[in-house]
Amino acid sequence: MNPQDSIGGTSTKAMTTAQTHLRSHQCAFTARDLAEIVGAPLGVLLLLAALFHFAAAADWLPAPRPTLDMDRTLLIHQADSSRSAQDATVILIGDSSCLMDVSASDLTRHLGQPTLNLGLLSYLDLPSFGILVRNYAHANPERLETVVLLLHPESLRLQAPSAYHRAQLEDYLAGRDAHTAGGIGGRLQTALGAILVRGRLEARVIPAPLSGVYGRFYGFTRDFSRWLGAHRGSAIDPQRFDRTRAQGNAEYRLAPRLESESRLLRQCVPSGVRLVVGLTPAPRSFVRPDHEATCARILEQLAKWLKADAVLAGLPASMPDELFASVTHLTGEGQTLFTQRLAAEMQTAAIVRTPRPDWIPRAEHLMQE
Amino acid sequence: MLFNSGVFLQFFAAFLLLYYLVRNRLMARNGLIVLASYLFYGWWDYRFLSLLVFSSLLDYAVGRALDRCTHPGHRKLWLALSLATSLGLLGFFKYYNFFIDSAAVLLAQLGLSVEPRTLDIVLPVGISFYTFQTMSYTFDVYRRTMPATRDLLSFLAYVAFFPQLVAGPIERASRLLPQFTKTRVITRQRLIEGTWLMIWGMFKKVVVADNLAPLVEMVFDHPAPTGLMVILGTVAFTFQIYGDFSGYSDIARGLASVLGFDLMLNFNLPYTATSPRDFWRRWHISLSTWLRDYLYIALGGNRRGVWRTRFNLLATMLLGGLWHGAAWSFVLWGLWHGLGLVLTRPAQSHVPAPDRPRWRLLQWAATMLFVLYGWLLFRAGSLAHIVELTSALACWEWPTWGLSYLINLMAFSLPLALAEVWQARAGDLMTPARWLASMRALLQGILLLAIVVFWQKEAAPFIYFQF
Repeated sequence: MNPQDSIGGTSTKAMTTAQTHLRSHQCAFTARDLAEIVGAPLGVLLLLAALFHFAAAADWLPAPRPTLDMDRTLLIHQADSSRSAQDATVILIGDSSCLMDVSASDLTRHLGQPTLNLGLLSYLDLPSFGILVRNYAHANPERLETVVLLLHPESLRLQAPSAYHRAQLEDYLAGRDAHTAGGIGGRLQTALGAILVRGRLEARVIPAPLSGVYGRFYGFTRDFSRWLGAHRGSAIDPQRFDRTRAQGNAEYRLAPRLESESRLLRQCVPSGVRLVVGLTPAPRSFVRPDHEATCARILEQLAKWLKADAVLAGLPASMPDELFASVTHLTGEGQTLFTQRLAAEMQTAAIVRTPRPDWIPRAEHLMQE
Repeated sequence: MLFNSGVFLQFFAAFLLLYYLVRNRLMARNGLIVLASYLFYGWWDYRFLSLLVFSSLLDYAVGRALDRCTHPGHRKLWLALSLATSLGLLGFFKYYNFFIDSAAVLLAQLGLSVEPRTLDIVLPVGISFYTFQTMSYTFDVYRRTMPATRDLLSFLAYVAFFPQLVAGPIERASRLLPQFTKTRVITRQRLIEGTWLMIWGMFKKVVVADNLAPLVEMVFDHPAPTGLMVILGTVAFTFQIYGDFSGYSDIARGLASVLGFDLMLNFNLPYTATSPRDFWRRWHISLSTWLRDYLYIALGGNRRGVWRTRFNLLATMLLGGLWHGAAWSFVLWGLWHGLGLVLTRPAQSHVPAPDRPRWRLLQWAATMLFVLYGWLLFRAGSLAHIVELTSALACWEWPTWGLSYLINLMAFSLPLALAEVWQARAGDLMTPARWLASMRALLQGILLLAIVVFWQKEAAPFIYFQF
């Protein structure tokens, strides 16, 4: 036998023959060992999960506040704003273009009326915006005078709102734990208490980083929330619009669902409070030649459905591309210009009354916070 | 297929069942391991399975030829054939575009304008790992430090063993191959250690590394980072890459352990190192020992004088850097560590290491600064970015989100750092595996809960998969 032809002193030929009769492996442990080694940690996991569920049911844990990403931080911030004592007589509601295209602080200065931006996301429906109006009116009785609904034509053609985002808002307002993620994994995570730990504990202690350019501009959920607080609920989109990367088309129309949703929103606006509606602009190179006429038609129909008290028909339907961060959002510079136009339009249409004598501007103070 | 994915959990559960069923047949076990490993690999891209099989068959055949052949010239030819093929495949898939681009840049500097013909090449996952593994086998057979195996099935299982196929540890044939030819005994202690390694490794990946990843991106993708941001980002990356890679290695070792196999230790508390040399004895041990045994020593090691030793160290580390990826930043990272080894070598040879804690602390701090800057080079991605990040270190402006960043950094790196300190003090990497069953179960249960809480629907890939 060639000594090199061996592993561990056995000839490989002989070994190969022997291998066919060799056992693969021997289990030198008992079922009890297995239960202890694998079962015990799983048992502890189940016990911990049960403890969390029990603690949540017994209200031993802090209330749910799942500020775990940008969307949920926004929803929670605006929901909290709508439910707290505020000075605003004018509130802005609408999709993310309302949030990003209007500076509530600037508008406050221009109008001489305290304004609060409660803009949300296009994934939500008009009744969701209405919930914020109702909450605001309830938390600030006799204060609210004007509700300005601003929407982008993109969100008006959405066939259905996002059930997930709607549930997130409703769950938060109801003090329930966040909407369960789908799939077996998501349900398992929920059963094992992951949503309780994340939404009630982690989110309160550890701010979550925002992704991409938003992360580089705002930082974390906690910083984004602070920004919103300091800017009367308005935000800035830090991106830059790139026409070559713009997706979709500019064939805007009203989704039929908006008719019934408009009625529900109108019901949320207290009597004596004016409801004003307007559209936010799109990039000039992106829209079709008849965009302005289309927007006018859409706005007229929407105002009818809403039974709006006034229509902001003089707002620009489009603006130069360089003022945009995306198809639906203006940049900070664009926001300043659009806010000026909005203020002028509201003053021209005599939508706002003269400045309240009892109101002291606190925008500067808020900016410094 | 990623360890931190639901599909892997299902795969491994099914595999364990089949593994139990074939317990009386060693050949069937090896066959099952080969098939499962190919499924595991092919899940990512089945086309590259052919590369893995080809590489395995070639080195098996070359090993057999080397074993039979006694003529030194012919043996060299067989070795050259194996190396040329292995390195050729690695070079083509991993370095073709890099060298073409670099050559074009160099020619442009010389005033010659050429249009580089780069190809749209997908890097086969794990190619650097299994290529080095098969190469070590061929080297060992060539050096006659081990005999060639006749058992093709065992050899295929050795190359493709799924726990360590795509990101190591890079196992030597002399260590792992014989394990496929023997009955493996799965003891109670092996199960305890295996489950501990899997849970701890998964915690390091899912909780530590995946939560630090966005922090790292926030800084390294920032168009105008400040010095403090760079420092925080580099510290975050230091823990991210360690959690990610050592987490993978721990899971691999744990999986192998419960199947009855032993994989080598790949990380031994690297951030407790007190010199660059010490660091490389603790970081990616399977690669550093591979480079030492098959490159550094082959170049002459320290046997040919001081300057040749320095050259050998630099060359070894430079190639080690290049192994990580086709970019000049990796080359620079390798050189940085090579320089560290060269510069600290005389100090370690002549100055007896004082046993004073303060001195050790100083050595540790200096080593950590050295390692940290190395990670900046590693993560930067390009030479221009390295310059940008380095020059940013002069500006110490505190970012507006600095506190949030710090909270995250502490929350996700501190558990790992404390565990390392604890393991270092205990002098035992497997401390919890020796605890009372109840205490161990409690700790594992808490770690499992953390894993469940941070488990992502879309599993984040391991950093070393790209290498």
